Amino acid sequence: MRHFRTLLAHELRSALFSWNTWAAAGLFLTLMGALHWFAVLECSRAPQAWTPVEATFRLFWLPLLCVLPLLTMRSFADERKQGTLSALLTTPASPAAIVWAKFLSAWLTWALFWISFTLFPLLVNLRLGASGDQAIYDSATLLGGLCFILVSGLLHVSIGILCSCITRSATLAALLTFITLLALTAMGGAMESLPIESWAWLGWLREPAAHLRTFGHLQDFAAGILDSRPLVLYVTGTLLSLGLAVLAVEGQE
Amino acid sequence: MSEVDPQPTAAVVAEMLTKRYGSLTAIENLSFSVAPGEIVGFLGPNGAGKSTTMRILAGTMAGTSGRASIWGESVALNPAAAKSHMAYMPENNPLPDDLRVEEYLTLRARLKDVESSLVAERVAKVMDDCDLTRRAKGRLIGQLSKGFRQRVGIADALLGEPKVVILDEPTIGLDPHQILGIRDLIRSLRGKMAVLISSHILHEVEQVCDKVVIINRGKLVAQGRTDDLRRELFPNAVFNLITQATAAELKVLVSLHEPAASVESVDTVDTQWNRIKVTLPAHSPLRETLASSMIAAGMSLREIAEEHYGLEDIFLAATRRATTEGGRI
Repeated sequence: MRHFRTLLAHELRSALFSWNTWAAAGLFLTLMGALHWFAVLECSRAPQAWTPVEATFRLFWLPLLCVLPLLTMRSFADERKQGTLSALLTTPASPAAIVWAKFLSAWLTWALFWISFTLFPLLVNLRLGASGDQAIYDSATLLGGLCFILVSGLLHVSIGILCSCITRSATLAALLTFITLLALTAMGGAMESLPIESWAWLGWLREPAAHLRTFGHLQDFAAGILDSRPLVLYVTGTLLSLGLAVLAVEGQE
Repeated sequence: MSEVDPQPTAAVVAEMLTKRYGSLTAIENLSFSVAPGEIVGFLGPNGAGKSTTMRILAGTMAGTSGRASIWGESVALNPAAAKSHMAYMPENNPLPDDLRVEEYLTLRARLKDVESSLVAERVAKVMDDCDLTRRAKGRLIGQLSKGFRQRVGIADALLGEPKVVILDEPTIGLDPHQILGIRDLIRSLRGKMAVLISSHILHEVEQVCDKVVIINRGKLVAQGRTDDLRRELFPNAVFNLITQATAAELKVLVSLHEPAASVESVDTVDTQWNRIKVTLPAHSPLRETLASSMIAAGMSLREIAEEHYGLEDIFLAATRRATTEGGRI
């Protein structure tokens, strides 16, 4: 992992000055702001079984599918297209350091987006002041939901990095990321809805399906339940994706 | 205590290098070496395998078989050590368009293990050497002309003061002034770094390089100093004369001194003067005395010139020989 810090600083600086990052940030904050606004409006009209923060976090898949691919699509695909990745590989910097620097930079940006989102409930709470319902600013759900986003984001961002490694086209990388994340997010729910019990030959899927219930993980985190299984799933999935990404970069040497 | 790298006998070694893409063989059993401090021209027609060889040596592509080493370190087995001794500028010189020249060179210096306290000084030096300080220092790379982009690539190659520099077509797209500047710069590296340089401009290679390696269709066809190759590929000395003597008269005179010589009438100049070509073995003593022998024999001589074989002739002869004989040197 030689030169990791140099590469990470470079990646963070590039992200900061990239129109791509600012466009993604604009899209994310507009989307999340609108979703939260509508949730607050709904709560103001009639009592709901959920809080605005909870409702907004339940829609995490929207920015995940629409914004995250924008953040990761150019990381390797553009460098491969321009040939600058080959130039980088002629230096003593290792492929692992390059992959981890790009991953961590994208993950920190993703985390920063979601941390920025926490300003919305805070602003609504400040605006309503003492007259507001305390449930509007649901700090426990906010913290739990944020933890879920940060932990699951490790896997989601690493998938984006891996998809960007295997193609020269940023558009194709974004599309691959979108499809993979859609499959990953929807898989747990889809499997739960399948009549696995009545199909003996699908019985072996029951347990993996139980582990892949992404929305269940969100609920657990938001409720403050700390289960080690999703942590292991997201961390090992991240390591696997990044390992494959390193192999893909080494394969270009 | 600082560790000093012992100087190996060869800075770059390619030993039986082969690269295949499926059924297509890009290079086959290619072997050559570059001594420390030596500047070597790497020549070949388009598609001969020059860039493939350079990429294997630079560690950006794996060979199918064979061995490549840089400053004694195997490129395949110890890539980090090999890369720490080497800088490579690829043919299309890919650069990030969104960085400024100074920022880019600073980043590259850090990645090339230049000591933190020396980074600014080293960047300033290579920018000065490549004439970038005045006109390109603060500009975005994406806004630079082709010539300046090439200079940035060369500045990057020199940043880490590597033992070996591999330059793939460094002067492509440059104007004559810029070519002169780059040529002087490369010449200034003689004795300090081993330089392997590919170029289509043979005149330029001849002026700069100590040695040439010529490949054709992925195979080595000639290597060595240009004078040695000239003697090998053109074993005869050819003189073009304009004289009043006829080819027959000259043949009689020349045969007295050099029985192996041949004399051939080319054409007539004016009415009394003949253009004649005399071919002598390269080591014939008559090479030095042809003019004086003719004058001593009473033959009037208006012009005498020995044909000079440049690198272009050597290159053409070597590739032609390889094509016709299918052999290699």
